[in-house]
Amino acid sequence: MTRGTIQNRDAFLQTIAERLGRSPRLSGVSRPQWDYAPQWTVFAGYSQDDLLNVLQKQCGLIHTDYIETTSAELAGALRRQVAAYGGGLVIVPDDPRFAEYGLSALLRDEWPAEQTTVHIWNPALGRQNIDAAEQANVGIVFSDITLAESGTVVLFSRNEQGRAIHFLPKTYIAIVPKSTVVPRMTQAAAVIHEQIEKGGLVPSCINFITGPSNSADIEMNLVVGVHGPMKAAYIVVTDR
Amino acid sequence: MPMKIENGPFWKRVEENLHNDFMRGAVAGMQDRGYVRRLGVIEELGHWEEWRSLAEQIRKHTLENLDFYLMQLSENVAKRGGHVFFAQTAEEANDYIRRVALEKQAKKIVKSKSMVTEEINLNPVLEAIGCQVVETDLGEYILQIDDHDPPSHIVGPALHKNKEQIRDVFQRKLGYTKSSDPVELARHAREMLRRDYLTADIGITGCNFAIAESGSITLVTNEGNADLVTALPKTQITVMGMERIVPTFEEMEVLVSMLTRSAVGQKLTSYITVLTGPRDEGDVDGPEEFHLVIVDNGRSSILGTEFQPVLQCIRCAACVNVCPVYRHIGGHSYGSIYSGPIGAVLSPLLGGYDDYKELPYASSLCAACTEACPVKIPLHELLIKHRQIIVEREGKAPVAEKLAMKAFRLGTASSSLYRFGTKFAPSAFAPFVEDGRVTKGPGPLKAWTESREFPAPSKERFRDWFQTRQKGGNPS
Amino acid sequence: MKVSLFVTCLIDLFYTNAGKATVELLERLGCEVDFPKAQTCCGQPAYNSGYVKEAKEAMKQMMRAFAHADYVVTPSGSCAAMVKEYPHLFHGDPEWEEEAKQLAAKTYELTQFLVDVLKVEDVGASLHGRATYHTSCHMTRLLGVKEAPLCLLKNVKGLELVPLPNAHQCCGFGGTFSVKMGPISEQMVDEKITHIEEVDADYLIGADCGCLMNIGGRIERLGKPIRVMHIAEVLNQRK
Repeated sequence: MTRGTIQNRDAFLQTIAERLGRSPRLSGVSRPQWDYAPQWTVFAGYSQDDLLNVLQKQCGLIHTDYIETTSAELAGALRRQVAAYGGGLVIVPDDPRFAEYGLSALLRDEWPAEQTTVHIWNPALGRQNIDAAEQANVGIVFSDITLAESGTVVLFSRNEQGRAIHFLPKTYIAIVPKSTVVPRMTQAAAVIHEQIEKGGLVPSCINFITGPSNSADIEMNLVVGVHGPMKAAYIVVTDR
Repeated sequence: MPMKIENGPFWKRVEENLHNDFMRGAVAGMQDRGYVRRLGVIEELGHWEEWRSLAEQIRKHTLENLDFYLMQLSENVAKRGGHVFFAQTAEEANDYIRRVALEKQAKKIVKSKSMVTEEINLNPVLEAIGCQVVETDLGEYILQIDDHDPPSHIVGPALHKNKEQIRDVFQRKLGYTKSSDPVELARHAREMLRRDYLTADIGITGCNFAIAESGSITLVTNEGNADLVTALPKTQITVMGMERIVPTFEEMEVLVSMLTRSAVGQKLTSYITVLTGPRDEGDVDGPEEFHLVIVDNGRSSILGTEFQPVLQCIRCAACVNVCPVYRHIGGHSYGSIYSGPIGAVLSPLLGGYDDYKELPYASSLCAACTEACPVKIPLHELLIKHRQIIVEREGKAPVAEKLAMKAFRLGTASSSLYRFGTKFAPSAFAPFVEDGRVTKGPGPLKAWTESREFPAPSKERFRDWFQTRQKGGNPS
Repeated sequence: MKVSLFVTCLIDLFYTNAGKATVELLERLGCEVDFPKAQTCCGQPAYNSGYVKEAKEAMKQMMRAFAHADYVVTPSGSCAAMVKEYPHLFHGDPEWEEEAKQLAAKTYELTQFLVDVLKVEDVGASLHGRATYHTSCHMTRLLGVKEAPLCLLKNVKGLELVPLPNAHQCCGFGGTFSVKMGPISEQMVDEKITHIEEVDADYLIGADCGCLMNIGGRIERLGKPIRVMHIAEVLNQRK
């Protein structure tokens, strides 16, 4: 990665230091031990089942369909949900989890056979992927981390998983393995922070997505489905 | 739109807005529903005061070490191939962004909501070089096509518009033919803006929280517009107020939690997105080029003063949502894109006292704002500080008031003077008293008696009653 | 128990009944009440308007007047809250910082004193009627006294106490705000009165004379049949 440019930093930071009544502090600062840590008390001691209950309740509040299934039944559940959303063009990332969870046949054979076209995000196809996402009726992804408290799926971008999958299709389905569920963003942030401390690089885009898109900008009336997907569903796989 | 909203002198604005029944109903409704919702999520979360103290500590630590964290942020952005421009002034920021737009030969620019870009008045600069700038936040979009009607609330800028007004604007400007149903209006905006996202050359965003440890920026929306603004155009420019930064992901998540609950009573908004640099190599979407413009524009002058706490602000508008004055006069009365209590404190600091001298007085000091602020900015105390400055340094207090306060000092600093002075209150008031009350008062009482009765001073002061009683007389 | 009364300028001049009721109530509860004659004003009017120098002169006079008091009790939430600010305002002042701390530590608003110090919640009062209580902003948010007045009012025989809708909203007094920003203040007090009428209250009870003067003054102008009473007067009512 070619290093980017930085302009006008010295004078800018010098001004700040002067206003704070000291010389510039450009290194050697670390976070103090914060006096309070209430974020870690939320759902402390909850089991995965407890967290699923929280997640289910939360989905009811955020206009998101909540479906529970097992890995054996996942293909069937997914098929039904896509049909409920109207079938049509489905877009998915190129994600090994689709095969791992027994969905290859659905994507490759069954759906095409019933006129539900499947586009798998392929970097080699460039812009075509975006066009497919724009035309897609359903985007389907696997949740990397799932936040029970808010009903949020966390997605890390990869070459094979473009950002547009989460925003352009009309509807959105996240497959949520039970093992990915954590209490709240605190746990996800801690994991990411730890990786950075170890020298890891965060991907260029991390999405925390909570249900479908909405706005209350017109007379404070909540309208669901503004720029992003108009409907969302989480299919929880309870044995993974 | 720069920070200042050009709409006449303070009292003219207030009088007009007090008569705007729709706006007042909309604001009161928003405040009442928001009050219940906000208290609900706060109670559900638990330990709210600890959360506030933590959030305050994070913000204070960051401000005290702002140069360090901006250093760390810029290094990490550059490491990821992003470009950082530090802009001391609005002009510098606009110049840089204009240069990028020219270099990219940009024709269309899509923007997600950013108060700081309004503050520096960016849009006209880009329009002047032939760019079409499209606001994608639904509220900002509505205002933009309505001939740049100014925002009246920092989070819900089109609060003052009813759906019929919005339908009319869409009809006039977009050839809209459907109804005033919010769902239909929103769907129309979705259609129009979808095309814009896909054809824009540059996406410009604000920044809710920059994360120093990774060189990332965090965007918080419900609509998903910021995500489309940053996923599709080839170039991304993010503009941030220099104080909008946190040390690590862990502080980001604490402050996001405070923001979403305080602003809109949600645990999280639908889309919280953390972007780092341009796209990764091999990615199909995301920008090829990323620019971060860090803006001072008067913020550094606030550092090192008693007003430094105002820089802790995370722009949640909780203070606006509980303010009883804002409730009645609405955002446009403040004459600034920053309205409500935060606006009354910030606007004079960024814009000077000449334009904003009434704002610190447009408050009953009820302290609802201080109580609501998730990062514990002592807003009502800062309003008193503004009044002090206006009195002492600016010399802008009315002469009559200064004289009255001098008299106050004399009268209250000495008990004998006080006793002497107050003894004559009944006779001083006598000409104005009728039936035990004052209906048309002199001097400062005149303003009072325009709408209220004023009590006549008791014939016998309390202290005289007490003294007589001590001596054995005068049961009550 | 020796209690020094800080009566406040508003009560001294305009609402003497509230002051009298306070004295009688405290005496009935076994306190010996004195009235340091040197007291003037807590300094709020000047301080809130930005006249710090002037305000501080008044505050020093307060500290002188109450230097020998054990307990300072005042029937005004906002005045008590102002006194609690003295240590912050005189921080670093070699002559007055200690005095400020001492005065702040021994000053109480009336209901706070009754419940937290005298440990009394039933003062044997009786008043028949339907009433609602106005939670003054400074008393609630700055002084932090929320429960004490309600505990005491709940035990007043014959009093039907109903909650005031939108109680958290300011009545529009704010000292000089009420005259400097009259038209806005008027809208705020009108909304407050609408809420009092919503619950059909005969009585509006409060613990801060500034608020009562504001709401009461508007009620009178509008000719509404709502009786405004200071909580001291209510608690001092007997059969």
